[in-house]
Order: sequence, then structure tokens, then C-alpha cells
Amino acid sequence: MAEIRGSIFRRTRAMAATIDEFLDMVGEAGLAFEKGVHHYLEHGLDAVIEEKLAQISHLEGRADALQRTIETVLHTEMLIPDARGDVLSLLDDLDSLLDSIKSAFLALTIEHPAIPREHHDAMRELVTVSTRAVASAVSASRAYFRDIRAVRDHIHKIAFFEREADHTAIRLNRQIFASDLPLERKMHLRDCVRSIDELADEAEGVGDHLAIYAVKRSL
Amino acid sequence: MELTILLFLSSGLFLGWSLGANDAANVFGTAVGSRMVRFGSAAVICGVFVILGAVIAGAGPAHGLGQLGAVNTLAGAFVVALAAALTVYAMTKLGLPVSTTQAVVGAIVGWNLFSGSPTNLTALARIVGTWISGPILGALAAFLLYRALRGLASHTRIHMLWRDLFARIGLIAAGALGAYSLGANNVANVVGVFVPSSPFVPLDVLGAFQLSPGQLLFLLGGIAIAVGVFYSRRVMLTVGRELLPVSPLAAWVVVVSQSLVLLLFSSTTLRQLIADAGLPPPPLVPVSSSQAVVGAVMGIGLAHGLKGIRQVKWAVLGHIAAGWVATPVLAAIGCFVLLFFLQNVFQQQVHQELRYRLGAEALERLRQQEVPVGELQPIAGHVIPGRTAFLEALRSRRQLPGPEEDKVLAAAELHPMRIAPARLGVLDPALLDADQIAAVRSLEGQAFDHKWQLAEALARAHVSWRPRPEAPHHALFNERLRDRLDYLYWTFRIPVGASPHAP
Repeated sequence: MAEIRGSIFRRTRAMAATIDEFLDMVGEAGLAFEKGVHHYLEHGLDAVIEEKLAQISHLEGRADALQRTIETVLHTEMLIPDARGDVLSLLDDLDSLLDSIKSAFLALTIEHPAIPREHHDAMRELVTVSTRAVASAVSASRAYFRDIRAVRDHIHKIAFFEREADHTAIRLNRQIFASDLPLERKMHLRDCVRSIDELADEAEGVGDHLAIYAVKRSL
Repeated sequence: MELTILLFLSSGLFLGWSLGANDAANVFGTAVGSRMVRFGSAAVICGVFVILGAVIAGAGPAHGLGQLGAVNTLAGAFVVALAAALTVYAMTKLGLPVSTTQAVVGAIVGWNLFSGSPTNLTALARIVGTWISGPILGALAAFLLYRALRGLASHTRIHMLWRDLFARIGLIAAGALGAYSLGANNVANVVGVFVPSSPFVPLDVLGAFQLSPGQLLFLLGGIAIAVGVFYSRRVMLTVGRELLPVSPLAAWVVVVSQSLVLLLFSSTTLRQLIADAGLPPPPLVPVSSSQAVVGAVMGIGLAHGLKGIRQVKWAVLGHIAAGWVATPVLAAIGCFVLLFFLQNVFQQQVHQELRYRLGAEALERLRQQEVPVGELQPIAGHVIPGRTAFLEALRSRRQLPGPEEDKVLAAAELHPMRIAPARLGVLDPALLDADQIAAVRSLEGQAFDHKWQLAEALARAHVSWRPRPEAPHHALFNERLRDRLDYLYWTFRIPVGASPHAP
């Protein structure tokens, strides 16, 4: 666990940077996931996918370490007593989102579902809107620390992308189950779609909690 | 003698302890309640600055002998301080923020009732006024300041952690300044009355500077307050959490608002500065920090509109208000009962009956003040014990308007003093400047029957003892002069029965 030392000003700067870095990890994991799935759709399982998995695992591990540091420092230094509980819950939510990103990508590399080409566009669209929901959740979290009035705008975007992800997932599932694929492949693809769609749902959960935290801070 | 003084001083120190245990909540209550500052850290910072304020600014003559100066025996002062301290202690145990000054004034009323002395009704009206003006002004200041700062904060993009740091620094700085002024303004009420009988000798501190006996006494009082601060957690949590949970920004606004209200409406120094600048000074409104701080917390609630008002715990507010009313009443009753015991069980003189004599000098002074004295000749020259008896004698001869009657009382009141060489040695250079001490020394060996005689003699001896014409820009000077004279009246007072003119 990294330690944050120095004067109170230096410690505050370091702590703010640590929180930003944690948010960067979640945001980067979302981007890596999007690129990884797009690559998978184009090229199937190859070394690049393994590289992306390693990248996401590294981001997840680093985020865990940063989260522990933040938790420890917030408690030991008695920082932001009025919002400490909310900040720690927010970090937990984001960490859980990052875990889900890793789990979804890991499942892809383990199960390497065969996705028929006619579903690629819808799958790409689903991945894009889901990861945009993740990116908006990160932006909303960043705004919570710096610009509380902007949180609402980002939450609005999360909700929009989550709805888009749901629509795309439903459309994709309809296409899958309307195809001539064997049932077990249909069910496999449905699970794959669900795991990607759930990223948007989790991002929405982060947004819902953030909306409450933001209201609490404005009181 | 010293043992007696130390014994009597103990109740002053107990009062200091109670004051620290209660009033520290006014400066650090919201900081601790909002969990921005640990109670231990707050207590240490508060304690250190209370002591600094007590020693550096508390010994300033502006603070005179404090409220207890009205009580004219040490045993009486002991009981008044004890009654006030017990009352504040009880309120502290209940976790209620109350005004220590009001407890002292309440106890003095008890002493007045016991000794048959008149009670200044304006002092009581001031207390009642404080219950209303303190919360209103505190709430208004906090409401405006909080709305302004919140509006400003919503337009800035400062990281939450930096805001937290700035709020923490602001809370500690405001708390430290508040603690400094707490020590400076209140230590006189705690030990001021003992200054003329200070058992201490000047103390050299590492050859760097010297602490006068008065400053040593104030240091002791400051330490008593500082120790009390460590027992203030309960009251702090009432102010900073139970009444209304406050955010760090609101916590800071509360402390600053109550300081602003005190500064604007009760600081003679600020009034002097404003008057010197040729501007109309703000009105003097009775305010107390305990009431202002509760008002400021309410102001934060109001600033949040209906949501905030709903969050206020009205039952807690009701208890606090009941505590405010109960404090002077309990102190007065407690003081009366304790005086009865001390006088009748321990045979202590708890009050010295005022005596009056309209001598030739007093009549001459009254003539100069254009008070008609022709019909007062029959009572002239007689020593009349007791204010009531004197007033009866006076009124049987001539009914005078209130202000003129007060002039007759002031001119006739006997307060025998002698500028004894031994007492000259105890004059505190922290309270009087060199010219003033020299003027007092020039009167060595002289005796005075009335306070005004000493004041006039000093005014003739040096310009620094001359009162200035009544005007807003002279108010502070004249107030300080009255406090210094009070100090001399106590220092050179001689016991009842002894003649000031005896060698």
C-alpha cells in the first residue's frame, strides 16, 4: 500500500491525485474493454486479446491498491468527515464496476463465444454504449469531487447510455434467438450480451448513488 | 492572609474551569461536532490560546476587575463566583451552552438581594435582551454569510479534499482566535476581583520578560479555563451536532458569525475605531457568544429553507433556551443560600454595608454639579449606614429627580482609602502606565473618604487620569479610566471602622 507523506498541502495534493488515478484506472479499463471486444469481433482470440486482458487485470489490481490507500488515509487523517462514507461507497461501486469489466472480458477469453458476423454491428454498438455509460460514470464521479453542479449532467448521460444499451441488448437478443443457431449457442451468446449490458446497469447504479451523494453535499 | 486569599481564589478558579467547560463550545463546538477537528486537538489549541489571551490581553486595564468588582468583600466575591460556577457546572453536565457572564450577574443579583444593595435593572434587562438579540443577530449573520459563501463555492471548482483542508484550517484559525478572545475577555471575571490582593510577586521568565502579579493571577485564571476546556465535549456536541448536523463550511460560518456579531455589536474598541474615523458607530446591543452561536446554527438551518428547518431539533433548542433562563435565576438563588451559610455558619463578612455622609466637600461638589443642596443641611455631617436609610433621609428632606439623586449618592458614599506606602508597591505595571503610577505615588500618605476625592486628586496630579468629555470617540478612554480607578479604589481601600486619616 502506497503511503502519503509530507506537509498537509502535499498530502492533500497527493490524495487528490490518488483519487484521480483511481478514476483513471476505471476509465482506462472501460476503454481497454471496448477496444478488446472490437478486436475480438474482428480477429477472434489472439495475442492482442491476451494483452488486453493483462492490461485490464493490471488496472484492476492497481485500482484495488489505490482504493486501499484512499480508504486508509481518509480514515486515519479524518479527512472529509461529512462525505467520507459516501466517497468510500462510491469507490466501492466503481471498484465493483471495474471487477465486472474484468470478469466480462475474462469470460470472453475463456469461453471465446463464436459470434456470427451478422451480429457484429449490434455487438459493437452494445459495447460502445455500455463503455460510454462507464466513462460517464467516471466523469460523474470526477465531477462529484470537483464540480458538484456538473454531476447531474453526467448522470443524465449515464441514464441515456444505459437505456441505449438495454435497447441494443434486446434487439441483439431478438436477432440471436430469431437465427438458426443451436439453442446452446443462442444461450451462450445471450449470456455474453447480458454480461456486457450489465456494465451499463452497474454504471447506472453508480449514477443513482452519486445523485444521492450530490444532494447530501448540497445540504 | 495569603492562605485566605488562595481559599477565596479557589472559587474564582472553579468559575474559570466551568467557563472553559462551557464556553469552549462557542469556539470549537461546530468544528468538533462536524468531526473536522478531533476533540483532543481542539481542547489543546483552545487551552493554549485561552492562556495566551488571558495573560497577554486579559491583563489589559480595559477589562478592569470584571463583573465581580461590584461585590465589596472577598468572601462575598467567593460566594458569588462559587454560585455562578456551580450553576454553569450544572448546565455543562446537562450539555447546555449558557453564558457564564449571565451566571455571574445572576449571582450578583443574589448578593444584592442578600446584602440589601440595589440591583441595576439595566443589567437584568441586558440579559433578557441578550436572549433575543443574540440568536437573532447570530442567525442573521450566519444566514447571510452562509448563503454568500455557498453561492461562491458552487461557482468554484475546488477539489473536495482542498475544500476540506481550507475548512479545517479556517476552523482551527477561527477557533484559536475565538479562544484567545475568550481568555482575554473572561479571565477578568474569573480572577479580576483578586488582582488588588494578588498573593504573587513579579516573576522573571528566563530573564526575557517579567510577569506582573496581575498577569500571574490571570495566567492562573487562564490555566483554570484551559483545564475546563478538556471537559467541554458534551456541550460542544450539543452545539455542533445535536441541534443541527452541520457541514464543515457551515461549521466555519457559525464560528465566524458569532465572532462578527460580538465584534460589531459589543466591541468598544471597534466602536472607538469607527468613531475615530468619523463614521457613525454601530449600536451597542447586548450579545453573548453562547446565545449568538446557537443563533448562528439556527441561521444555517434557515439558509437551507424548509429542509433545513425540518432538520433542526427543536426539543434540543427548547432545552437550551430553558438553560439560558434558568442560569441567572439558579445562580441568584444559589448565591443567596450560600451567602446565608457563609455568614451564619462560618461567620464571614460577605458584604460591607455602604455608608454615606454629606460632608462639606461632598456638598460643595454637589453645588458645583448644580444639585440643589440647601434643604439637605439637616442630614449633612451625619454618617448614615445603608443605602436605603440614606435615601429615606434624603427623600424626607427633598425629592430629587433620579439622576440628581444618583449624584448625591455618589458624592456621599464613603469608601475610606489611604495611599499607604506598602500598597504602592503592589501597583501592577501591566494595569497602569508609568505616568499613572507616578501620579498615584505623588499622593503617598494622603487619605480619602470618597472615591471621587481620589479621582479628582489623581486628575490634578496627571493628565492621564483626567476624564474626557462624553463623546463616542472618548468612550473607550473613559471606560478604561473608570476601570483603572476601580482598581485603585480596591487596592487602597481600608477596613471598615478604621479611619483613613490615622497614621
